[in-house]
Amino acid sequence: MDDYDAIVIGAGNGGLTASTALAQKGLRVLLLERHNIPGGCATSFCRGRFEFEVALHQLSGMGTPTKPGPLRMMLGSLGVLDQLELVEMPDLYTVVMPDGFKIGFKPDKNHVLGELKARFPHEHQAIDTFFNLVYAYANQMLAAFFFKDPEPSREKYPDMYACAFKTAAQVLDELFTDPLLKAVISVYWGYIGLPPDRLAFPYLAMIFFTYIEFKPFHIKGGSQALSNVIVNKFLSHGGTVRYNCAVKKIIVEDGAVKGVVTEDGDRIGSRFVVSNASQISTYVGLMDPEHVPDGVQREMRGRSLSPSAFTLFVGFDCEPDALGFTEPTSFLLKDLDVSDRMLGRMGELSIGDQPMVLSCYDVADPDFSPPGTCQANIVILKYGKAWLRVPPREYHSVKFKCAEEMLRRVEEIYPGVRGHIEELEVATPLTHMRYLGHPEGAIYGYEQYIKDSMFFQPGRYSPIHGLYFASGWVGDCGFHPTLQAGLRVAKSIVRKLEKEEK
Amino acid sequence: MKKAVFEDFDGYDDIIGEIEYSRKFGVDYTQERSMPERFINRLHPPRLRLRLGEIIEETASAKTFRLVSEENELPPFLAGQYISLLVETGGILTNRPYSISSPPNQAGFWDITVRRVPSGLVSNFLLDHVKKGEILHSSGPCGNFYHNPLFHDKSIVLIAGGAGITPFMSMIREIAECGLDRHVHLFFGSKTLEEALFHHELTSLSARFENIQYLPVIEKPSEDYPGTVGLITGKLIQEKLGDLSGKTFYLCGPQGLYDFCIPELEELGIPGRKIRKEVYGAPLEVSACPGWPREIHANQAFSIAVKEKGTISARAGEPVIKSLEKAGLTLKALCRSGECSMCRVRVVSGRVFQPKGVPVRKSDTQFGYVHACVSYPLGDLEIEI
Repeated sequence: MDDYDAIVIGAGNGGLTASTALAQKGLRVLLLERHNIPGGCATSFCRGRFEFEVALHQLSGMGTPTKPGPLRMMLGSLGVLDQLELVEMPDLYTVVMPDGFKIGFKPDKNHVLGELKARFPHEHQAIDTFFNLVYAYANQMLAAFFFKDPEPSREKYPDMYACAFKTAAQVLDELFTDPLLKAVISVYWGYIGLPPDRLAFPYLAMIFFTYIEFKPFHIKGGSQALSNVIVNKFLSHGGTVRYNCAVKKIIVEDGAVKGVVTEDGDRIGSRFVVSNASQISTYVGLMDPEHVPDGVQREMRGRSLSPSAFTLFVGFDCEPDALGFTEPTSFLLKDLDVSDRMLGRMGELSIGDQPMVLSCYDVADPDFSPPGTCQANIVILKYGKAWLRVPPREYHSVKFKCAEEMLRRVEEIYPGVRGHIEELEVATPLTHMRYLGHPEGAIYGYEQYIKDSMFFQPGRYSPIHGLYFASGWVGDCGFHPTLQAGLRVAKSIVRKLEKEEK
Repeated sequence: MKKAVFEDFDGYDDIIGEIEYSRKFGVDYTQERSMPERFINRLHPPRLRLRLGEIIEETASAKTFRLVSEENELPPFLAGQYISLLVETGGILTNRPYSISSPPNQAGFWDITVRRVPSGLVSNFLLDHVKKGEILHSSGPCGNFYHNPLFHDKSIVLIAGGAGITPFMSMIREIAECGLDRHVHLFFGSKTLEEALFHHELTSLSARFENIQYLPVIEKPSEDYPGTVGLITGKLIQEKLGDLSGKTFYLCGPQGLYDFCIPELEELGIPGRKIRKEVYGAPLEVSACPGWPREIHANQAFSIAVKEKGTISARAGEPVIKSLEKAGLTLKALCRSGECSMCRVRVVSGRVFQPKGVPVRKSDTQFGYVHACVSYPLGDLEIEI
């Protein structure tokens, strides 16, 4: 007999919701995590009197209690909603430039339209057209796929048929001429990882739609609070979690999963294994090559790795307004060129003129940092490959040099910030690689080209019986998608068991 | 088979073509086997096998242990960082953090300097029993006590007490050997001059380098001692430094040094962000810490039920991590000062004492997670490790 009904490898978002939903259904579940703390990306760390948020910028899909979004409903079904203190963020985002340009939006469609039209009156009509298209696209997509229209057609959903496979740049270039407007409207590409030339328009549309309709949120205690709350729920359902316990091997026999072997040599039997790790780590790192089906290798070959990130975690000895941080989410732009050249720059060590995002949670949640202080999380997207070439002895000096360059970019817009720094930690792509175990530190998993969307890829399924994937590698990345990925896997497993019983 | 809806979307055929193309010319990820680990291990090896190359007598009570890598090249570190030695002695498998005293430019070996501590399990084991040529295991370098060029001043003031000089030796040696553009003022508090580690080297460095200034401050000097005596007071610091602006202060030493010197620095108007202090182990006598419940005696015995492992005995005045180690349950700890969070455990029931200022994540506190190295049972406990 199996030791557990299911084994989940990794306590990141996907692993946490998968294991908790399975345990909720009465399954005996073992959750294995190689670190000493759950969360994966959804975590925090302490320096001095600060606790730094690692990954969560703006939680999407939450919605309000009266108009709940999909994430609120999901967390409700997991039974963890009442233990989370959610803070609605007052702002969508702000774009600032060193020349003094600044534009900010509330998460409200009319406010976004009003601000854009006031600043770009010459593009007045195109702005309306763009947001009408965003909303039409989103509503058609939801009607066809979320509400599962049995007979979708081009006549019913013209924008979906026309735009689903377009890039963001194609749509923006058709409508707008002003490069500043195009840059301002597409800054959220940073949350997906591909610049507008490569970014699928649907992502840009859905991100605007969900943030405006369901509002951006923040969690008291940061994303670690979310991870801890879910683990706590998992334990209360009788689940078992082992920290500091990496998996060394997934046992496969005759094309079916039989269990896992831990790094301590423990053999644990189960016919369901959910991997919260990447497909690459799972198939290549945890399985003998003879067990990996040919189709899998072929499919993986077609995927590319998303960028990693270079991040400054900064603790300041003053309130945010003393530094000029008046909104929680600011995109710092310098060069408006968001064409393919951006991809090249993302592959370099140097910070250059790339956009960066500065999140100051204290603006939305004054208790986030100790009284009289605040913190900023400043991120720029960088591919990990260049960092793999840095000789170990040069690592610290390269890291500080890049961080210095980044800090100067911040000072161009917020002069005087350096004089208030009390703590500063730098994370490079190698840091993300170290803590996530992702190849090249890819924070968003595989790149999300249109060809990588759910229509074309195997997602959570594997040709190996009993093996499932739940992570940012199976489809969209981000908090809401990864939390959902785990629930979907749990549903698949439960359905399979029910079918067998019949 | 029924055609999927999206097959009719504009541009579908192009996407199919793209997929075929990308699979043909894509990446062979089978080369990725253990790649992340291999790269990360060059910087952050989880475990190092080190051979004791040399033992150098420093003072009557302290020795330097020179550690040479048995396997790969030693990973880089920042002057001020420590390694955690894994030691088995008296049937107990435990770890202790030691600052590296050799400079980071010395890639051939690491020095750690160990001073005898009354009833110090590991320090005395190292001083009395470990011999040249033996193998020791350690973590990779870690810790947050180093010069951060992004916001620390180039002019640095180092305040050391006793064995707290070790991270500063690494910093000073690096400045001297690499010609770094940094100015150092070192105040070194020691009970006696004989006990002051590296006194001769520091005296000679400060004579040779204009940017290195060294002042030993002797607490219990011999009668005819001509140098500076007493404690490292604000007055002394002010007198020696003159202008206090544009300087970052680093402190390393026992709790008493911090309790005395930090208020002195604050009194001089030094802002908190310019005062960096190294963690220095768990309190020597926790029952003397502010907030300790008076009704509980340090020697009071309790039991700890460890989930799935059994029940062990514990003592109020001893951190939970030690009781676990005595029972053969060793955690993957590093700093043993509450900072690194590696010994995070969950208290399911019962009460523990945690000294003020230990950095624990907010939500960890909410769900009962504590750092076992600075958590003391105030009654019977039930924990999960």
